[in-house]
Amino acid sequence: MDILNSLIGGIAVAVTPLNLALAVFGCFAGTLIGALPGLGPVNGVAILIPVAFAMKLEPSSALIMLSCIYYGCMYGGRISSIMLNIPGDEPAIMTTLDGYPMARRGQAAKALGISAVASFVGATVATLGLTFFAPLLAKAAIHFGPADYFALYVMAFATIGGVTGVNPFKTLLAAMIGLLLASVGLDPGTGTARFTFGSFHLYDGFDPIVAIVGLFAVSEIIMYFESHALSGAGPVKLGRTLPRLREVFEGFGASIRGALIGFVCGVLPGAGASLGAFVSYSTEKQLNDKNGTFGTGDPRGIAAPEAGNNAASGGALIPMLTLGVPGSGTTAVMLALLVSLNIQPGPLLFERQPDLVWGLIAALYLANVVLLLLNIPMVGIFTRLLSLPQWFLMPVVVMVSFIGIYSISHSTFDLFVMIGFGLLGYALRKFDISLVPVVLGLLLGADMENNLRRALSISGGDFNILLQSPIALAIYAFTALMLAFSFGIAMRRRGPRSAK
Amino acid sequence: MIDRIAGAVIFMVSVSAVWVARDYKAGFGDPLGPALFPQMVAAAAALLSLGLILRPDPNPDAQPLPAFIRQAFTLAVLVGYVLLLEPLGFPLSTMLGTACLALLFGAEPKKAGVTGVAVGVSLYLIFDNLLGLPLPLAPATFG
Repeated sequence: MDILNSLIGGIAVAVTPLNLALAVFGCFAGTLIGALPGLGPVNGVAILIPVAFAMKLEPSSALIMLSCIYYGCMYGGRISSIMLNIPGDEPAIMTTLDGYPMARRGQAAKALGISAVASFVGATVATLGLTFFAPLLAKAAIHFGPADYFALYVMAFATIGGVTGVNPFKTLLAAMIGLLLASVGLDPGTGTARFTFGSFHLYDGFDPIVAIVGLFAVSEIIMYFESHALSGAGPVKLGRTLPRLREVFEGFGASIRGALIGFVCGVLPGAGASLGAFVSYSTEKQLNDKNGTFGTGDPRGIAAPEAGNNAASGGALIPMLTLGVPGSGTTAVMLALLVSLNIQPGPLLFERQPDLVWGLIAALYLANVVLLLLNIPMVGIFTRLLSLPQWFLMPVVVMVSFIGIYSISHSTFDLFVMIGFGLLGYALRKFDISLVPVVLGLLLGADMENNLRRALSISGGDFNILLQSPIALAIYAFTALMLAFSFGIAMRRRGPRSAK
Repeated sequence: MIDRIAGAVIFMVSVSAVWVARDYKAGFGDPLGPALFPQMVAAAAALLSLGLILRPDPNPDAQPLPAFIRQAFTLAVLVGYVLLLEPLGFPLSTMLGTACLALLFGAEPKKAGVTGVAVGVSLYLIFDNLLGLPLPLAPATFG
């Protein structure tokens, strides 16, 4: 019972007064960030990373706070889906389908209650999965050599678009842009200055956190005028705040099914929470939509996707912690956090820093309970905060991002780099090019290159070494399969569209 | 069409990246050298951008002019804020920046002003005093 012992050690880390307070704060802030339209988990976590630095937190405390924000965002996204018919973040889109019709019928409290329980089920399944599978995967991953890691990175980039049906050319291109941006700065192996154009400011390369806040938060501000400009409809009335206990468990079965599906989606590379919610909803609909009630306010139509997206986001922590290869935007941002704290995620993390890993896992269990309390009895606070005007929220978000970035190196150069990345992010979004692969490229580029160079210096420059390990071959085969699949879907989609 | 332009720009950037990287010299015991990885990535980017040029997606909807004007002003406020941050000090420049942004996001002038002052002062107090994060306070001209 190795795992149980480790978990007990983790609980001891998580229940120190400071960590407990940070967890509660993270849950609250996360729910709020998730609930506010336009501020998703990626933005929320990215903006608060520098704040965590400013507070001079221990690595484990910082990680606990930000993971609670991450879990909180997943709970919070549903609130504006149900109350405003605007998803608070991307994975909450599926929740609008049945959540908003229920709220319109005067069952807002019930819808919020069901989705909170579903979120709890999803997140708990994922945290259990994290507890039992992550150590196993970490043990297996110890046998990975440089060539295998290189294959793993190739897989991460090739599959990040997943099966979402976005133009796969653009997703791959986004990854290449990120990798190219990662090679700016002094090459660690030889000290050669690459793509710096003589600017000393660029010798350190681009700080991923500066880039992330720019790409997501700043571009969101610029994008705002186009996307949200005129969504005037106010929130529906909440009515009675507390749902009946019996009502809340309607769709409990759907939650369990959704959680299991979502968890698998989360662990797979390049899938993430949106896909988890989508697959859970459509599976549930195919299984149980006998009277055509889905889409008109069926409780199961809320429970399945909410459980799915929460389970997927928990599952996505597994590859990030054990392999150092994040599977989604937010886990990429959390990887950026770990790297800035000088912690190298990967199989050795579980051996070398058990306090950190198990403290985090224990904190996630606690966070789930706190979130359930915040999201059923106290959900009224968040629905009221939803009516805060955007002209107040947006400038505050901008200013907090500026403070955070400024605090990293106290130079205005970083702030200009951030604005520059904001423009780049805006342009890429206009071209329908996803930002997550860019961030992944920027984050993983250096490691990917190091592993390639290490592999080739072992073989003395012979590229065959990349294909000699059975692990690497298996990874490449899986990658090829996923790529063929996503190109296939893209081609099928393109057919009818161009025929119009 | 817009995809073709993007594709062409990325193509040119990646080809020039391959060209710029040709001078980077390999070190001892490092058969790959600092040049090959960026060149591989840039070459792949160039190929993929060709894909974008050959098979572009349909154009996205053009945004209305008022939105564009607000975007341009927002960008100007952000850049202006960074330029003024150190000369004016944090509280003052943040008051100005927040008020301008609030206006752009549709606040009434009076409310924008109040928001600016409130946000400027409270963020300074929270981060500088409470969290101990040194922020530039006074105008640089006063020392």
